[in-house]
Amino acid sequence: MTQILSIKTNFDLCTGCSLCQLACSQRLLGGYNPHRALLRITHKTENLYHFPLVCNQCENPYCANVCPVKAISRNPQTGAMVVDHDTCIGCNMCRKYCPIEMVGVDPDLNKSVKCDLCNGNPACVAVCPTGALELAYRALPDKKNNEEADHG
Amino acid sequence: MADAYMGQFLMVDLTRETTRAVPVPQWLKDQFVGGKGFGAKLLYDLVPPGTNPLGPENVLMFLTGPLTATAAPSMRACAVTRSPLTGTYLDSFFGGRFGPEIKYAGYDGIIIFGKASRPVYLWIKDSRVEIRPAKGIWGTSTLEANALIKKDIEEPEARVVTIGQAGENQVLFSLICCEYNRQAGRGGAGAVMGSKNLKGIAIKGSRIVKVHDLKAFDAACKGAYAEIAQSAACATYTDGGTSSAIPWSNEIGTLPYRNYKSQSDPQADKIGDEGQKKHLFLGKAACFACPIRCSQMGAVRTGKHSHFITDIVEYESAALLGSNLDIHDVRAVAHLTKLCDEYGLDSMSAGGVIGFAFEAANNGVIQSPPGVTLDFGNVQGAEYLIRSMALQENELGKLLSQGVKRASTALGGNTGDYAMHVKGLECPAWGPRGTPGMGLAYMTADRGACHQRGFMIGYDVGGDEYNGQPVEPYLTKGRAVILVELQNFIAGTDALVKCDFTTCGLSSETFAAMLSAATGKPVEADYFNIIGEKIWNQTRLYNVREGFLAKDDTLPRRFIKEVLPDGPHKGQRISQEDMDYMRRDYYRIRGWDKEGRPTSETLKKLGLDQAPDFMERP
Repeated sequence: MTQILSIKTNFDLCTGCSLCQLACSQRLLGGYNPHRALLRITHKTENLYHFPLVCNQCENPYCANVCPVKAISRNPQTGAMVVDHDTCIGCNMCRKYCPIEMVGVDPDLNKSVKCDLCNGNPACVAVCPTGALELAYRALPDKKNNEEADHG
Repeated sequence: MADAYMGQFLMVDLTRETTRAVPVPQWLKDQFVGGKGFGAKLLYDLVPPGTNPLGPENVLMFLTGPLTATAAPSMRACAVTRSPLTGTYLDSFFGGRFGPEIKYAGYDGIIIFGKASRPVYLWIKDSRVEIRPAKGIWGTSTLEANALIKKDIEEPEARVVTIGQAGENQVLFSLICCEYNRQAGRGGAGAVMGSKNLKGIAIKGSRIVKVHDLKAFDAACKGAYAEIAQSAACATYTDGGTSSAIPWSNEIGTLPYRNYKSQSDPQADKIGDEGQKKHLFLGKAACFACPIRCSQMGAVRTGKHSHFITDIVEYESAALLGSNLDIHDVRAVAHLTKLCDEYGLDSMSAGGVIGFAFEAANNGVIQSPPGVTLDFGNVQGAEYLIRSMALQENELGKLLSQGVKRASTALGGNTGDYAMHVKGLECPAWGPRGTPGMGLAYMTADRGACHQRGFMIGYDVGGDEYNGQPVEPYLTKGRAVILVELQNFIAGTDALVKCDFTTCGLSSETFAAMLSAATGKPVEADYFNIIGEKIWNQTRLYNVREGFLAKDDTLPRRFIKEVLPDGPHKGQRISQEDMDYMRRDYYRIRGWDKEGRPTSETLKKLGLDQAPDFMERP
């Protein structure tokens, strides 16, 4: 079994406070705006429920699959799909094909941005006051070899 | 260099249908900070003396503070206008998510002038501002309008404020409902919005709010979160919001019962945290950037009024629509509160008005209409009055929708004896007989009877010490000096715009550290008292200009003439002599003359004689 890091979301504990989004935008952009953060909260049913949504760090990552310059790849240490800004050309193809819009070009950076799990110590999880975001390890069955699925 | 401000106000002229951004002058930031400070100065400068609060010349402002929209815990925004209910300066603070969005769109505040020729709403997306027709939205409730506006602009993530039918009909105590279901409740800002034909404002912003020193600011915020996490007072709010104040207030003898006839309610526990946990609460919701999450969300699942989603029934609503009306089915109290929220009525004033009407009906001054019983304990009677007022369905509703001051004047007789208001604002749910400091707080609060401008209960009966010394109960001596300090500190931190509940857990030093790092202008812990005194005097200048003097700094006759019949403070009242003494003492400490006007020495000391005028107009 291979263990990879992930952020588990618990909607039952989420209060919708957005401290996670503020911590995220602070790290990414040096300032505050939850709409610019790399995770999202949807408020439902007259504010009774709050659904945090984070990047799935997919096994089958559509963002990387469609990237014309192969700028998105998996960090072997954290298991996160990470954008290489030196390679990214800002075409936003990744956003077009991400079904949950968790990746895309930031208007100031002009490069695609997505959750990189803060190199293994996510700021959003650290600041969450309720445990609605928690660090978890996904147990994956070992592959025959260590290569990603071949989509070529 | 970033200073946490966005640097501009959005000015909207609804009469000419024009909008433009104007710079926030440096002197305004330096001298008045934000929030309440901006509001105090801008209302004085922008609204000519004697302006009709419901006329196009009144302005309606939504103002943020320097820490709003940052990671500083629980920073909010305020609505500021001339109150149609009181005629005084009015600020009404709201949490939720609308305030921060003003800054994300690139503004420190929105200032609205004029009156639209037809119902409209505003749609602000960064620098693009549209005044759009509200056809099909006008006539709906606050929450329906929220959904309809988001649908109309096809932007589910926009943050919206709306008025309900009450605001449209200019009920004098109508509220502004702020994303999501947080209220700018008191004093009738919703009626001002309605008078401008403005149904709502939607905002979405993509701008980044930047602070001066991110590293220092981050450290200060983390310190603030840690303080809150360790605070017992904050933990109480996390556990049950303000609902646990019901049994506490009853125990200390301040809970209004049957239109404040008594301050002791034998069935109080049914509508407090015990009753609400059993019948309502399901989960917690937080305002933006707040780790406390005092809002307990739930639903009424059983009984006559099921099913509907309900927020916590806050202490003030539970007390004034519950105990004060002798209603103790917490599901019914939640129902009445939700009706007020949806029609867009301030639930506090509504509770005060209904209590007044029930007593007037008992006294034979008003008659119950056929099929309706206007009497304490009667949920249907309360519901009838809420609807009658909000929808202006009948003469009684029209009369009561003007608040207890005007209603008692119209009804005459001795109804003024039990019209529970100060300067026209219905009293909060802390009966002040036995707590003279709280009485003085009501007398002197800038927007009329308000508990949030100086919560003296803690000193009067709550066991709080002043300068390390216990405070003697029932004494009028020494109350003014404590209240002045409280009012100054609260006004100072309301410039940020802080939340009262976070403040229970945060030290002045932490506020100062966050503000210093955010703006790059170092301030000490006493800064908020200094700036607060200036702001408090600026709101007083407005009220004095509009004719409010010593005669208006008074209490309802019931508190003065009638001794409490029972409870912990049986036999207590706040006599005319008590009031006169405390008022004199308060004015002396404030540096005001005997009529309550700030003296020229006081204005000079505070630098208010030198403050420039804000000259920008739309």
